[in-house]
Amino acid sequence: MARFNDLGGKTAKSRVAVVAAGVISPLGAGLEDTLASLRANKDCVSPVTRFDVDKCRCKTAGQISDETLRNGRQRSRKTDRLHRATRMMMAVFEELFGQDPEFKPEKTVIGTTSGGMSFGQDYYRALRRHQGLRHSPGWIANYPPQKPVIDAQNAFKISTPCQIIANACASGTNAIGHAFECVRSGKYQRVLTGGYDAISELVFVGFDSLQASTPEKCRPFDRDRTGMVLGEGAAAFALENLESARARGAQILAEIIGYGISTDNHHLTQPDPSGSGPRRAMGQALRSANRSTEDVDYINAHGTATTFNDAAEGKAIKELFGDVPISSTKSMIGHSLGAAGAIEAAVCLLALRAQLLPPNINFRNSDQDLDLNVVANESREAKIDIVLSNSFGFGGTNASVLIQKLAE
Amino acid sequence: MNLRIAGMGLITPLGRGVDPVWERLLHGDEACGQPITDAISEKVYAGFRVPDDALKDLPSHPRLRRASAISRFASAAGLDALAEARSTIGEIDAERMALVFAVSNGGVVYTKRFYHNVVESGAQSASPLLFPETVFNAPASHLAAILGITGASYTLVGDGAVGVLAMKMASDLLDNGELESCLVVGAEESDWLLCDAYHRWRLLKNQPPVEPFHDPPRGMILSEGAGAVLLARQGAVEIDAIDAGGNFSQRREANEIVRRILHDLADEHACVVASANGTFVDLAERDAIKHELPSASVYSAKPALGESVGASALWQVIAGAQALRTKRLPQMLHPPRDAGLNFPAPDEISCAKAIILSCGLNQQAAGLRLSI
Repeated sequence: MARFNDLGGKTAKSRVAVVAAGVISPLGAGLEDTLASLRANKDCVSPVTRFDVDKCRCKTAGQISDETLRNGRQRSRKTDRLHRATRMMMAVFEELFGQDPEFKPEKTVIGTTSGGMSFGQDYYRALRRHQGLRHSPGWIANYPPQKPVIDAQNAFKISTPCQIIANACASGTNAIGHAFECVRSGKYQRVLTGGYDAISELVFVGFDSLQASTPEKCRPFDRDRTGMVLGEGAAAFALENLESARARGAQILAEIIGYGISTDNHHLTQPDPSGSGPRRAMGQALRSANRSTEDVDYINAHGTATTFNDAAEGKAIKELFGDVPISSTKSMIGHSLGAAGAIEAAVCLLALRAQLLPPNINFRNSDQDLDLNVVANESREAKIDIVLSNSFGFGGTNASVLIQKLAE
Repeated sequence: MNLRIAGMGLITPLGRGVDPVWERLLHGDEACGQPITDAISEKVYAGFRVPDDALKDLPSHPRLRRASAISRFASAAGLDALAEARSTIGEIDAERMALVFAVSNGGVVYTKRFYHNVVESGAQSASPLLFPETVFNAPASHLAAILGITGASYTLVGDGAVGVLAMKMASDLLDNGELESCLVVGAEESDWLLCDAYHRWRLLKNQPPVEPFHDPPRGMILSEGAGAVLLARQGAVEIDAIDAGGNFSQRREANEIVRRILHDLADEHACVVASANGTFVDLAERDAIKHELPSASVYSAKPALGESVGASALWQVIAGAQALRTKRLPQMLHPPRDAGLNFPAPDEISCAKAIILSCGLNQQAAGLRLSI
């Protein structure tokens, strides 16, 4: 078993606390609903209703209802005109700032893949029809990926600069990781971070065209896995210098202790089968935290349920960690792309808080080639102090964050 | 902060290469508007395009075989920046180099083509070859593969200010002692769909010239290309301050934030390389400069090169660095007589610093200061 705490890991400058969080996903709106769904092993994937999928192989996704998005502060005539992604960001900021109204970020780092893509589609379809274009200025203005974040910030009277990371499906974890490094370096005291993505026809059809998505159930790490389903949602985290957070008496949900990023140049959409990209990202996260593989109690895997991803990630996990328990939240809610890493980090926070191993549902048969310790179908209690969350994306981006339960 | 520009690369509608394009800017050249059409409509827009011969010596690489124009522009600029850096600071370790890629509209040509097929013929006709190229980080992925970057690679999305935000991110990344250098690239490709979108947003004019700082604004012309700078510990030009700025919710609020950025960066020995492009941005910058640095020499390359959005701030950084290196600033093209700003003749200037002001069209503004 590889050890990383004796490989010259960089000495941490500042410790980084998570002082507040917000999440919305098919698992529910808010941390408490999310935890309840994890405990109940809920399958949140349902037939797609937002656009026509008759000609697609895959016809299901993890979706958030419009009714859920109309609750809370995001309910107004003005916000009804905003993109669904904006309302998702507003929902998670509402939960986050409800927990810690005193949190004043110096910068914001958010991950996404497609921004307000459905507004771009509306605009293009209106152009083709030569009608309905009177709405186009609104679609165009609300399409860019920074817009949902800036609008959500405005709703909470925040005007800090936004860095919007679009590293495909690793975006959310990259955003959290970069925010973590900013606070750890000592240059920043407080950074707001997370990720979002709203499901859109273009992206759905794109994954379908690649035959990456499945007409069946999403079964990560299963011998008979056939692919992913898409999802949507958002999550946000308030990261703060631990000393600063303690000094002002802030609640501390967890501590982020390590981050790794690597680029795999094998192919634009397929990982190197050797698992070298994930292995480097996970190894770097451990090194940066000065931790060894034995310290990790649970891995929230990227686990898309595609043949190639799970094989490469599974190989890397097995080689580095042996039999550590793993699961993929995507089995429950689908793959929410730029939001995935952020939602899964929220799941990791809940796992640490509730001392719970989240489930990998729809699991039937172990893949003998991978031989992994999958948390099959049902969540279960366990002593968990440190968790690792993985996200990998198109373009060969691999990202891992290491999160620790803070001692009482 | 000891953050320096070790190499630069540039591809624009006025050609490729930092020095050749700079000479043309000093000469007062401006790009020619070319008709941009699409079968979807009879409307014709004018745009500034990168000439075909600017990419003729781009090395062949499997990743570029099907890549879109934006990836080719980025590769050209990135390779040129590294080539210049090698000649000044020596060999560069790709494993200790990060990549930060700034983009606004991304691979719009392939995205449009992909979705067009879906709309016209149904989901079953969607192309699995085109879809991966629609992802914002596809150009960065291609460039990383060409350069052999295996560590950190980030694609940042935003408006015209995204290039400055990318410089800020590079600065933060280089605080990590494990990295030696960071390649910052901004790139964009133009398309009829973008022209139509900006037109409907009342920001585009039908034909050149781009007339900066006019009140009321007369509109911009879209362009394309890429700029790249390799940031390292050595190099003639130093980045001595970066202000990541903030966001404005209404256009009229842009004035306040641009003024605050310029106030933070102001230096009596500095010239200002503005982002003025013929839109509301110009008035925000004009007011800020009049208030904070009224005697500063002011230049914007956008009348000559157009508005390249994701690439634009990198072009400004390169223009600022060239102004410091050559002690010359090109003459502002098509300014109003009554702007109340100092547009010097293209003679020698005495600035030791250059302020890059970047106000985007969609709520972001930021700036940085270079020194030599």
